[in-house]
Amino acid sequence: MTTIAFTLNGRATSVEVSPVRRLAHVLREDLGFTGTKVGCDAGDCGACTVFLDGAQVCACMVPAGQVAGRRIETVEGLAKDGKLTALQQAFHHFNAAQCGICTPGMLMAAADLFQRTARPSEDEVMDALGGVLCRCTGYRKIVDAVLHVAGRVPAAALDNTPDAGRAVGARFPKVDGLQKLDGREIFGADQAPADALWLRAVRSPHFSATFTVGACDALHRKYPGLVRVFTARDVPGNNGFGVYPQVKDQPVLADGDVRFRGEAVAALVGDRDTVMTIRDDEVPIHYTPRTALVGVDSALAEGAHRLHTDKPGNILAFGYVERGDADAALAAADVVVEGTFETAFVEHAYIEPEAGWARRVGDRVEVTVTTQTPYMDRDEVAQVLGIANEAVRIIPTACGGGFGGKLDISVQPLVALAAWHLDRPVRCVYHRIESMSSTTKRHPARMTARYGCTKDGALSGFTFFGDFNTGAYTSWGLTVKDRVPIHAMGPYHVPAVRAKTRAVFTNETPAGAFRGFGVPQAAITHEALMDEMAERIGMDPLEFRWKNAIRVGQPTASGQVLKASAGLAECLAALRPHWRKARAEAEAFNRTGDGVRRRGVGVGAIWYGCGATSAPNPSTMRMGVAADGTVTLYSGAQDIGQGTNTTMSQVAADGLGIAVDRLRLVWGDTDLTPDSGKTSASRQAYVSGGAAKRAGENLRAEILRLANAGQDAWLRFEPGAIVVEDRGRMQTIDLRRLEAGGPNGDVIMAEGYFDPPTEPLDEKGQGVPYATYGFAAQIAEVEVDVELGTVKVRRIVAAHDVGRSLNPTQVEGQIHGGVAQGLGLALMEEYIPGRTENLHDYLIPTFGDVPEIETILVEDPEPTGPYGAKGVGEHVLCATAPAIFGGIYQATGVRIRRAPATPDRVRAAILARKEQRP
Amino acid sequence: MKPPPFKYHDPRTVAETVELLARNENAKILAGGQSLMPMLNMRYVQPDHVIDINRVEGLSYIREAGGRLEIGAMTRQREIEYADLVARRAPIVREAILNVGHRQTRNRGTLGGSLSHLDPAAELPLVSAALEATVHVQGPKGKRDIAMAEFPAGYMSPSIELDEMVIGVTLPVWPDGHGYGFVEFSRRHGDFAIVAAAVLLDVEAGGKIKRASVTVGGVGPSPVRCRDAEKALTGEKGAEAAFRAAAETCRTIDAMEDVYAPAWYRQHLATVMTRRAMVAAFGRAANAR
Ligand code: FES
Ligand code: FES
Repeated sequence: MTTIAFTLNGRATSVEVSPVRRLAHVLREDLGFTGTKVGCDAGDCGACTVFLDGAQVCACMVPAGQVAGRRIETVEGLAKDGKLTALQQAFHHFNAAQCGICTPGMLMAAADLFQRTARPSEDEVMDALGGVLCRCTGYRKIVDAVLHVAGRVPAAALDNTPDAGRAVGARFPKVDGLQKLDGREIFGADQAPADALWLRAVRSPHFSATFTVGACDALHRKYPGLVRVFTARDVPGNNGFGVYPQVKDQPVLADGDVRFRGEAVAALVGDRDTVMTIRDDEVPIHYTPRTALVGVDSALAEGAHRLHTDKPGNILAFGYVERGDADAALAAADVVVEGTFETAFVEHAYIEPEAGWARRVGDRVEVTVTTQTPYMDRDEVAQVLGIANEAVRIIPTACGGGFGGKLDISVQPLVALAAWHLDRPVRCVYHRIESMSSTTKRHPARMTARYGCTKDGALSGFTFFGDFNTGAYTSWGLTVKDRVPIHAMGPYHVPAVRAKTRAVFTNETPAGAFRGFGVPQAAITHEALMDEMAERIGMDPLEFRWKNAIRVGQPTASGQVLKASAGLAECLAALRPHWRKARAEAEAFNRTGDGVRRRGVGVGAIWYGCGATSAPNPSTMRMGVAADGTVTLYSGAQDIGQGTNTTMSQVAADGLGIAVDRLRLVWGDTDLTPDSGKTSASRQAYVSGGAAKRAGENLRAEILRLANAGQDAWLRFEPGAIVVEDRGRMQTIDLRRLEAGGPNGDVIMAEGYFDPPTEPLDEKGQGVPYATYGFAAQIAEVEVDVELGTVKVRRIVAAHDVGRSLNPTQVEGQIHGGVAQGLGLALMEEYIPGRTENLHDYLIPTFGDVPEIETILVEDPEPTGPYGAKGVGEHVLCATAPAIFGGIYQATGVRIRRAPATPDRVRAAILARKEQRP
Repeated sequence: MKPPPFKYHDPRTVAETVELLARNENAKILAGGQSLMPMLNMRYVQPDHVIDINRVEGLSYIREAGGRLEIGAMTRQREIEYADLVARRAPIVREAILNVGHRQTRNRGTLGGSLSHLDPAAELPLVSAALEATVHVQGPKGKRDIAMAEFPAGYMSPSIELDEMVIGVTLPVWPDGHGYGFVEFSRRHGDFAIVAAAVLLDVEAGGKIKRASVTVGGVGPSPVRCRDAEKALTGEKGAEAAFRAAAETCRTIDAMEDVYAPAWYRQHLATVMTRRAMVAAFGRAANAR
């Protein structure tokens, strides 16, 4: 320990710490400056960027000893006297902060740039910010915000103060946006009681092994700071969790058997230094490794051991959709194409690793945690502890990115279990490698499909078989295997379809929910085959899609006749001028170019059913008026950066008829808000939005009833009163005279409920799996360096049918972020357990990778959606990879059959094609 | 994770540092920290002693002496990036440095740190090899010089003793108007190179190549000088075919294989990167036109 004195945001500071403690931790843990974030502790993400003597550095790589006598500035020091800098304001207005976890690093990097130059160019911005990763925004809005401050980009379109009843559709900035800009936002790792113990999970280094745990006495003697070592037998309730009520196959702590590398085996609880110092190999766990079943083929092989005794052949389940006679249709088709396509494990790579803390309050337990789904967490923790659901309270923190990965529980049961036993607060923060090696991934898929059409371009039949590697545990495997066959043929009217999926257990990281639930994988398949068919019959790829786009009145492969809001044809039509121009430009470039760089343009079209597949999927929202006149929306819909807090406020405000900036928001806490379901399946805008609108309307009806006023009356909320004006007749409801009650102590309250109308699927997958579908088409302009096999995406134009855009700025944010993730899926992302489990070896797109993105919002209103809205969160990712692959084809003549299309694979494909063609 | 416990030393002179190295087993020098800190954070290394040389005097300088460039071990990469002297006398070094990590890392990272870490794909060892630098090290027995060609002893291990430290580098300067090209292939900007090539060309009046230096990094365990390519270039006048033929000699370099790239692809990259660097270098040579 040494005393280290330095200047922090202009103030003399001194701490007593080890000189090699990293600055990021000194700031966060010792000084409480949690605005500086930690995403990797390895110099890979830049979330920890601060100034050291006025220049940006990664605080995770600066030892405290080196800051003695120096100046440190953090995000907390940017705003002066509570006034945000121009840069912070621009971030707010451009929606450059979605979840906000990368924002402090981005702001510091940008501020560093402005110290050097007042009017940086776009290249300089890219260079200065290039060391900070963002997984939400696709970077473009960040670049725009910085360039705006540089005077190179006009102000963002913005609607700060929409009138009452006009919030929906307005470009209203995030209601919780400001706290993401000055370090105030609290994420999972940012706060816990000072006396909280730390928990660290000991994880299996083996893919597959049996094990025993010996006595830990020696460990306790060696480390007096170690309070307890928890193992499977300490789980008081069910030592199993899983997202489906009927499937709880993943143990909280493995019980004698580990099924993937990174599985939690024991939990060390003690003071922070102790649990972080103990090495895994010091804990007396004795493993007996056995054959690891890696990849679906080894799991399906004859004689392979069973991962789960009740699952013969390691098959979790099959999914199936059949309509008409697909074989006969293909036999009769003029043209039939087929292919086998493969995709990899893909990691969510949110910049915020899992984190949270728990405490016991009498017979209840409270868990404060980063999550996408507070109510599911509540029920999971309850059954693990063996207590009633109501005895668990989940208090979500801001969520630093989720994308599906924070739907499954991670730290929740561990900290709850420890706090329950020890009756002390216990916290846990995953480090990056732990986050990547232990949490869910996108399912790797191997899909074989045949597609046929007539020579004049009408689709006739489609067959599909796909194996989906669900890893060691079920997680969302059942959803993926059901969702894929429904969507596998793409957003087209196909008379005859047979699509089958198989979810297979392996000794790999559990595959769960990741933006799209298998649809992005399937889209790679159907869109590649669409391109081939179009070429075979000599039709333009976009026109071929337009001709076959499913339209209102046509049945899906599930036999669901679309009644409204099927805007794919409109999306494609909107792309048509861009498409023709870009294709012609690419051809011209290739004619006159050097032959090394070749360009191409591809198109991808997709659809995506909003909400759970043929399952109840309700949301409840509550609103209340307090005695002082404050109107509150109690929303259980978790905002993970996409802007749900904002859009729910807009919808509820319009339902009630109040200006949106007058609405107070209470979100997430399961004790204070009703169940609004999970943030997944693109359901919040549509389902929770539906509930929020009804909550607003019901509250309005209740107020009108109290005032005995008519439907068109006009409301004014004043301190302690509501003034109701009904055709010139003014009435005042004195709120102070009403009795407070209900769960939130309001004097008037109402709830709204919405559950999208679906119908079960029969054994042939026929029924109404989703009440509505979102549609999208994107075009990608790419340039391939044929010598190297590298693919540079130059531009994306994305047209999305969102029903009605609740907030165009937020929708664009979703599209940008989704496109960036789609690009990653297409070109660089491949999670390999044990090998690419950090942000250095696992590549996600960075500033230079994400091209200009033009967004086109098509609004074909959905009658069951709030103000016509439906979901958009996942559609945005699904169309990008197919569009990029189409572009690669036009550029090189190479058809990509395996994602990611890494440079060596593209180069190999180019060489193989040359060899085939003399 | 928490770095393992160890003793921290904060010497003020090279002599003190060397003495600490000699006296303590399993000691690591902490320079800019851009490689060591993550390794400590992740516990990939577990030293018993960490010797922080950030306060050691006299290790940070960039100067010209006797027609050579001298750079101190603790000179930050950003200082090299911004140094006029470097841009004028050894422009390939600046070119290389723009590919090193990101702003955050360059603000802390040092020349000596990069050389001692000796990542096979790192840019600074690569240009040092291309320029035929001399590495100066000091130990308890005094100072000695190591030619860059001899400096790597193997994968990520410099040929210095446990009680020696790198104190500086001398870079021979090529004649004014020489051509230089640094081309790097990385999956994303700022990532470590998969393969990078550094080419220097001395082109005489009339456009003939008098002397060539061709080096690739990221293919073998340390930078590889491509003597065949250099020979092939000498006497050439910048024809595309000549560059192609010279670069093609790099296809047979023994190549590593990892999650980023198979061996055949690394060899292929070596040919393309060296050729592109040759073209860039020739294009920059004053006498080429
Ligand atoms: S936490 Fe420092 S770079 Fe990621
Ligand atoms: S806003 Fe950048 S990571 Fe979420």
